[in-house]
Amino acid sequence: MPASLIARRAVVYLLLGVAVLVVAFPLLWMAVSALKTDAEIINPAAPLWPAHPQWGNIGRALGQAPFGRWYLNTAVFGVAATAGQLTSGLLAGYAFAVLDFPGRRVLFLVALSGLMVPFSAIIVPMAQLLGDLGWLNTYQGLIVPNIASALGAFLFRQFFLGTPRELGEAARLDGASELRVFLSVYAPLARPVVAALAIILFLQNWNNFLFPLIVVNTTEMSVLSQGLSVFQSQFTTQYNLIMAASLITIVPVLLVAVAAQRHIIEGITFGALD
Amino acid sequence: MRQAARAGRAGTRAASRRAADPAAPGPRAGRAGLVAGPRDRRRTWALGYAFVAPTVLLTVLFSLVPLAMLLWRSLYGGGVFDLAPRFVGLDNYTGMLAEGGARALGVTGVYTAGFVVLTMGAGLALALLLNSRAPGVARLRAPFIIPLVVPVVATALIWANMFAPRFGPIDRLLAALGLPPADLPASPGTALLAVLTFGAWQFFGQNVILYVAALKSVPRDVLDAASVDGAGAWRRFAHVQWPMMRRQTLLIWVVTTLTGLQTFTQIYVLTQGGPDGATQTALYYVYNEGFVQFDTGRANAMGVLLFLISLLVTVAQIWLLGRVDRAR
Repeated sequence: MPASLIARRAVVYLLLGVAVLVVAFPLLWMAVSALKTDAEIINPAAPLWPAHPQWGNIGRALGQAPFGRWYLNTAVFGVAATAGQLTSGLLAGYAFAVLDFPGRRVLFLVALSGLMVPFSAIIVPMAQLLGDLGWLNTYQGLIVPNIASALGAFLFRQFFLGTPRELGEAARLDGASELRVFLSVYAPLARPVVAALAIILFLQNWNNFLFPLIVVNTTEMSVLSQGLSVFQSQFTTQYNLIMAASLITIVPVLLVAVAAQRHIIEGITFGALD
Repeated sequence: MRQAARAGRAGTRAASRRAADPAAPGPRAGRAGLVAGPRDRRRTWALGYAFVAPTVLLTVLFSLVPLAMLLWRSLYGGGVFDLAPRFVGLDNYTGMLAEGGARALGVTGVYTAGFVVLTMGAGLALALLLNSRAPGVARLRAPFIIPLVVPVVATALIWANMFAPRFGPIDRLLAALGLPPADLPASPGTALLAVLTFGAWQFFGQNVILYVAALKSVPRDVLDAASVDGAGAWRRFAHVQWPMMRRQTLLIWVVTTLTGLQTFTQIYVLTQGGPDGATQTALYYVYNEGFVQFDTGRANAMGVLLFLISLLVTVAQIWLLGRVDRAR
């Protein structure tokens, strides 16, 4: 290998190493801070690594707030909203691509209009609407408004437009109903699209903060992110407990991310660049 | 599974080409007419309406209705406690702009511009490094997705700790260098920079992943041909890769801009829009007026502007995409 190539690769590794460190440092800082004593955490001269790691901090943080309930709320919201988005998107995408019915184009534009209205612009009327429906501080208030997925409908439509017509025709000639054609011929084909979208949508829902913030204002119905922010406001200066609480919320997501990294990368790229 | 996903994507691409041609016949046109009787057609209609109903109805109820409420109520006076709102014309808009709204729009512009430059610059630079043929480099893509997938509230608390005066790592570093401590999020001059650093850290991984994919789409033989012609790394980038990624760069810009415009959690946890409005963006203004000050008139007026700005970005995307595609 020529020396210039070795030198160039050394630079590549060095720069990437620095970048990985920039990404990882805050998370490592969280981990060591979570294990420090109350005295160490506010001592500017304390060593980076705690003398006696305080694993008990995690239990202390867990005992201070209803994390179990917040986990449950987040899981209910994350699973239900994701399942709803995938199902509604799959059905609508299929209908818009394959089924012929009057008004299809107009209804497709209505479905896409969801992309034009960012949720952040309508938080105030959304809260009023959900208040009028009596849905504040409820699971349906968290879940139902998030089910329609313009992006999902669009991506599934694109996918089904690319599937061969002959598959369905053969089944129809055998006397299969339209519903049967969808369920047994086309829906199974979409499995890779579902896989790529599922993890990314789930993580988005799991981490959603602004939406729960305007729908929920009780401790009992809070999701994990909200709970964590309340926890912080109660223990403002106990950074070790706050970091332990952050650790409790980050680690499960981190494990999912490591296990599903390929699907996540797939999901980020999917539909974004076509 | 991965293979299948890739096949799925190839299918999607073929489909988008077909979708781009408005003259292409509808999916079942022709043959279906011969095979299906009127009754079958009715059944197909019913199934079609049933399938699109959840998406269409929920979009109307939870996007279009709130949008209509937003536009309408931005013209009506008062806060949530007004029992008989009265028409006030554009008063909410002028009041909003005079009372911190104009400043919030400026902060949003600065933040979003910085966010785009930082995350797209870092994304492209790291993607170029990850595109190197050095062994093992391709695996290093994975760490960059981590900040993207962990809860923002948790990372915001970490960054608050990192910025903490005296015992936070940033002040420790400054002290080690003999510099005075700096409480970055609490000082008006540096608060936005602190939020921006954190916001960019959280998001730039997405642009790394997208630029890696974009670079992969540049055919290797075109690059090799450029090398044979004596082009070095810089000229290959400037004359081959960059022009061939114009379309992807545009799409990445749109997603990044919309994400920057909608930054909320970072500000909510780190600075609450302070100190003295230094980090109050348009969205944070909407939240603060709507849910803290309870002046929903002003909140809605700013919401309308936020909607229009996002719409402008989307329209710009469609227009620019058309230009890029025609230039090909």
